[in-house]
Amino acid sequence: MAREQPNVGDLLPLLETSDLHQLEEIRGVINEHLSTERGSMLLNGLVDYFLETNSAQAMHILSSVREPHDKHLLDKMNECMTKQACRLPTLTLLGHVIRKQPSWIHKIARYPLLLSLLKCLKTDTDVVVLITGVLVLITLLPMIPQAGKQHLWEYFDIFGRLASWNLKNPGHISEVYLIHLHASVYSLFHRLYGMYPCNFVSYLRSHYSMKENMETFEEVVKPMLEHVRIHPELVTGTKDHELDPTRWKKYEIHDIVIECAKVSLDPKEASCEEGYATMPENFYPQIHLRPQDCTSSPYTDLHSSYGQKTLHTYQGCSIIEKKILIMIVLVNTEIMIIQYHDSLSFGTMLQLLKLKNTGGKGTPASGTPATSSPPPTLSDDFPIISLPANTVQSSPPRKVCSLFKIHHNCPYVVSAAAAITEELLKITEEQLELSGLRGFDSPFYHTTETLTGCQAQDKTLSNTQPGGPVRDPHHVVSTPDKGETTASTSDRGVAGDGRSSALGLEQSCKTLAAVPYESFFDLALPRAASLFVGQKTSEAVHKDGEEEGVASASPLEVLDRLVQQGSDTHDKVLKRLPLPSKSADWTHFGGSAPLDELHTLRSQLLLMHNQLLYERYKREQHAVRNRRLLRRIINATALEEQNNAMKDQLNLQSVDIVSLRESLQVEQQRYRQLWDDRETVVTRLHSQIRQLQQGRDDYYTKNQELQKRMDELEAELQRANNKVCHTGHLLNQMAIKLSNSESTQQQMSFLNKQLLLLGEAHKLSTQELHHTGADNAKEAQMLKLSYGKEVEMLRQSLLVQGQKLEAAQQRVAELETHLSKKEHLIAEQKKFLEDVKCQAKAELQASDSRYQAQRRITQLLQTELLQLYSRVEMEAPANGQSQLHTDVEVDSRLPPHDSPRGNGSTLSPRQPKGSNSSKKTTANSINGSQDLAPPLLVEPSLSCPYGNSLAPLPASDAPLTVGSYPSAKSFLGMRARELFRNKSESQCDEDQPQTRLAGLAHGLKTELCVEPPYPGYIGIVCPAPSPVSTPLPAPAPAPAHATPLTVPTKEPPSEPKQRASSQESPRRKAGSGGGRGQASSGRPRQQQQLKIMDYNETHHEHS
Amino acid sequence: MADDPQRNFRSAYYEKVGFRGVEEKKSLEILLKDNPLDLEKLSTFSQRFPLPSMYRIHVWKVLLGVLPPHSDSHALVAGYRKEQYQDILEALEVMRYTNASTPSTHVYLRMFQLENQVLPRCSETSTPDEENEDFLSISRAMEEIVDDPVDCYWLIKSFVNQFHTKFGDSVPHLPKSLEHYLSQEEPRLLNHLKSCGALAQLPYSIWFRRCFAGCLPESSLQRVWDKVISGSCKILVFVALEILLSYKIMLMGITRPGGVVRFLCNIPQENTDAIVTKAIDSWHKYCGTPMHAV
Repeated sequence: MAREQPNVGDLLPLLETSDLHQLEEIRGVINEHLSTERGSMLLNGLVDYFLETNSAQAMHILSSVREPHDKHLLDKMNECMTKQACRLPTLTLLGHVIRKQPSWIHKIARYPLLLSLLKCLKTDTDVVVLITGVLVLITLLPMIPQAGKQHLWEYFDIFGRLASWNLKNPGHISEVYLIHLHASVYSLFHRLYGMYPCNFVSYLRSHYSMKENMETFEEVVKPMLEHVRIHPELVTGTKDHELDPTRWKKYEIHDIVIECAKVSLDPKEASCEEGYATMPENFYPQIHLRPQDCTSSPYTDLHSSYGQKTLHTYQGCSIIEKKILIMIVLVNTEIMIIQYHDSLSFGTMLQLLKLKNTGGKGTPASGTPATSSPPPTLSDDFPIISLPANTVQSSPPRKVCSLFKIHHNCPYVVSAAAAITEELLKITEEQLELSGLRGFDSPFYHTTETLTGCQAQDKTLSNTQPGGPVRDPHHVVSTPDKGETTASTSDRGVAGDGRSSALGLEQSCKTLAAVPYESFFDLALPRAASLFVGQKTSEAVHKDGEEEGVASASPLEVLDRLVQQGSDTHDKVLKRLPLPSKSADWTHFGGSAPLDELHTLRSQLLLMHNQLLYERYKREQHAVRNRRLLRRIINATALEEQNNAMKDQLNLQSVDIVSLRESLQVEQQRYRQLWDDRETVVTRLHSQIRQLQQGRDDYYTKNQELQKRMDELEAELQRANNKVCHTGHLLNQMAIKLSNSESTQQQMSFLNKQLLLLGEAHKLSTQELHHTGADNAKEAQMLKLSYGKEVEMLRQSLLVQGQKLEAAQQRVAELETHLSKKEHLIAEQKKFLEDVKCQAKAELQASDSRYQAQRRITQLLQTELLQLYSRVEMEAPANGQSQLHTDVEVDSRLPPHDSPRGNGSTLSPRQPKGSNSSKKTTANSINGSQDLAPPLLVEPSLSCPYGNSLAPLPASDAPLTVGSYPSAKSFLGMRARELFRNKSESQCDEDQPQTRLAGLAHGLKTELCVEPPYPGYIGIVCPAPSPVSTPLPAPAPAPAHATPLTVPTKEPPSEPKQRASSQESPRRKAGSGGGRGQASSGRPRQQQQLKIMDYNETHHEHS
Repeated sequence: MADDPQRNFRSAYYEKVGFRGVEEKKSLEILLKDNPLDLEKLSTFSQRFPLPSMYRIHVWKVLLGVLPPHSDSHALVAGYRKEQYQDILEALEVMRYTNASTPSTHVYLRMFQLENQVLPRCSETSTPDEENEDFLSISRAMEEIVDDPVDCYWLIKSFVNQFHTKFGDSVPHLPKSLEHYLSQEEPRLLNHLKSCGALAQLPYSIWFRRCFAGCLPESSLQRVWDKVISGSCKILVFVALEILLSYKIMLMGITRPGGVVRFLCNIPQENTDAIVTKAIDSWHKYCGTPMHAV
């Protein structure tokens, strides 16, 4: 770098070389260096170089510097700004850079350069620097709109300072500078008003409300305010909203510029976009009236390019308009005239006209507002230029009106009508001439011709003349009615100053031409107006038109005029080289020293350049905007074309649809026809079908009938066949029969023969039989009879046998039922027997218990007796007999009670037993029998004499034998104990009753058996007792004693038999079966018998 | 039985609704009409229901075997019984065991002794021992119940015999059983009796050997004996239990065993019917109602 640095620095002077290649190389090297190096050295060098030499190449390089170097550049420029000397070139450089609009330009708000610029603008006193700085600032403001927030009041201060510059420093600076300054302040005003209207207006309000600033306001600011319309932001926006950075985000730089221009009424400043700048429309054609002027500056050239476009439309419009206007005027002459006479105001007139012209498009009449009409004084400044315009528009109505006025005033109406037509023709001619003139001027003439030609072709084309002399006829035509205009034309001559004329031209182009209704004004007030205008113009001309014009007109116009003037002077300088009036001129402008003149001129040039650059910049902005708008237009046209194409398509499609619809209709018709055809065919076919069906049905029925018939026929056939078969069969049979009959006939004949033979033989045999005997018949008959009888007998016997059998069977059945009955009976009997058994058992138990009780009693009595005996014996030695006697006495008391028990029969059984036992047991039994005997003997002794007779002996013996009392007593005790023990033993228990029963039965038998029905029994059983039947008690003991050996031996076998018989026979049977009553001596009966025996005993005793 | 027209068809429901003994007399009559008498049924009936007094003696006689089940032989057997009774009585008179002045109960005792061959000699007649006293008290009670001396003697004899043969073994266990039931019903009283030592000295002989003869009035006693005769000695335990429970307060008040015994031997005769009723109820409760339906 260090090495290269000097090289690059050395290269800088080479930038001024004339060799293009070298220049290119050097620029390339520098640019390369800039792009590679970040240091500020080269940049600083470049800036210094530029400041020194004001080199265009350096400026070019610097203005296109890239991003990283912006800081260095701005710092360097800030640094340079501090130096008074370098301030101007620095500002110039800054202007260049800013106009280059680099991408980093928005950063400038953050750098001190802006502050130093503002400071410079606020403090510097050098006008050139100020103007340059203001222009830079104006250029810069749209680029950094958001920075306004911080520096807004500085801007306003700058504006206020510069606005009051002239008044505060009067005479310090030359007029030229002032113009430039004023123009730049004007631009600044526009910019500030456009960007920050609310703040700016409030600033103006606050700043110029002060007394000391009042003058400045009147002088400078107020005229400026005349050139702006009211900003919409003043209505809708607020101070804060204006400063809001977001507001600016949607705007590009050129948008802001145009925004600012929109609010301007100054055509110089304002843009000509729709809705804002309708005024210039009338102006543009007139520019072309002086093409040489326009082409002189690029500025006007730009405007001409604009103008040509609008011109074209205007021409069409204006011509049509004029026609319409004429027509309207013709139709509404009455109203017009009334209005005219009533001398209505210009505004109402215009309104009326507007009313009439509603059909037309945005015409000058309707489009140009009356308010915007500039003061008429100005219009008269440029009569020459305004004349053609006026003639174009205002002359025809004027003429017509005047004509009508004439017509109205004079009574010759008919002749006047003809005059009117003539006038009209004239007017049209003029019109066409004018248009033809313009057509030659503009490249759009032919199109205009085509537009207008249709109306005026036949008359006007021939009358068109070359442009040069056209002016005069116009003037000639117009002048007659307008006397004052001639005066004004003469003014042109009076005002010999070309500069002023040029300025007037310019001005008229921009302002006055925008007021086409001046003519109406003139028309309304023909005399007074013309006089007024004339006075005004003359005054204006006489006065210093320049300053006045500047004061009232836009500062830009003034500047323009200045430039024009400059060029004029330059021309003059060129014409007369020594420049005689030069000094006078200079003195006239500023009155500055000739020494300074060069400097002044230079700075003027610089200022001009600056201005030019500023304007160029504006142009560029417009171009940018233009391009955008163009693009939009292109898009719109493309869309329109697309739309058209689509419309065409739509049309085509609609056509298609129509055609298709038609074809559809045709098709439908065809279809309908076909359908009808089909319908007819179908109906026909249907009818056919119906017919066919009917036919088919007929056929069916016929067929059925036929079938029926066929069936019948078949049946008949069958029958016939059957018949045939039958007959055939019969035939066969018949044939067989026939053959049979034939054979039988043959046999018959044969048999007949035989019969005959046999008959003969029979005859022969009968004869023989008759001869033989008839004996056999009788025998046979006899036999037969005997057989018959025999059979009869057998049959009868069979019958008898059968009957017998039946009877036997019946018998069997009877017997069986009987048997079952019997069995049932037996079962019942068995049951009953059980019952009875139970009963008997119970009874027996009762009686047994009685018996037991008896025994106990007896035993007790015995023991008692024994006890008594023992006591007696104990006392016996002394009075034994007496004791015995007493005992007997005691016993004698007993008999009535004792008699039943003292029965011999009851005791008798005990005897055998005792004897039996005694027999079994050797000595004891004898003792027992002996022991037993005494009581037995005692009792009989008491009861009967027999017993007593017998008893005493043993009784007497007994005591003897029992004499050994102790032993006897002990024995008795043993016996008693034994008896007690035996009580529980059943055997003894049973044995004793048995024996007793047997004894009883025996006794009973002996008693009852009076007649012997069963002798066997008795005979067997009781052989001995039977003889002794009547004396009951007596014989019993006797045999017991007498035959002790015989009876007991015989008795035992008899006893079981008796008992068995007695037990087997039930009581009831015994009751029923009386025959066997003897044998069936039941126990009750026995008991009864026992009782009976008692009775018997008592009976005996009684008897 | 169910089809018996003589029976009220509602009889089956009386007991269900709580009326007891409505149909008892009728059913008993039906039972008694049977020939031969069904002893089992009779005993079941007697256990379940209180016997009507007009049939009581008859039923007792049948149940105790004084009369046979066959009603045909009733007259005969009754004759036998009477004869036997007279015979024994005469014999005793003859043997001078008895005379006209001898109280009938003693006569019955002598007769019983005679029949059992335990009659002492006249000279040896001593004061009646414990067994004889039991018999005597029973016979005293029975004498009150039964008018006819023959029947009375037979009933006494059969009752005593049956009691000894049937319940001779179970009588010694009855005190234990009483203790058991008492512990269930009223353990406090049992504890009291135990503590004061009266438990062992309770009049068990009166209760269980004499079957409350002399302890309860005859009107109540006969209801107890109904049950005993029909074959249950358990009723004695429950009667004793109820006696203890009824006089619980008094018994709890007496601390000396002698006092307890004295009191129990001479219990008041007022509400014995209620005691017996309760005893029967609790007996039914504990031992269950005999299931053989009438």
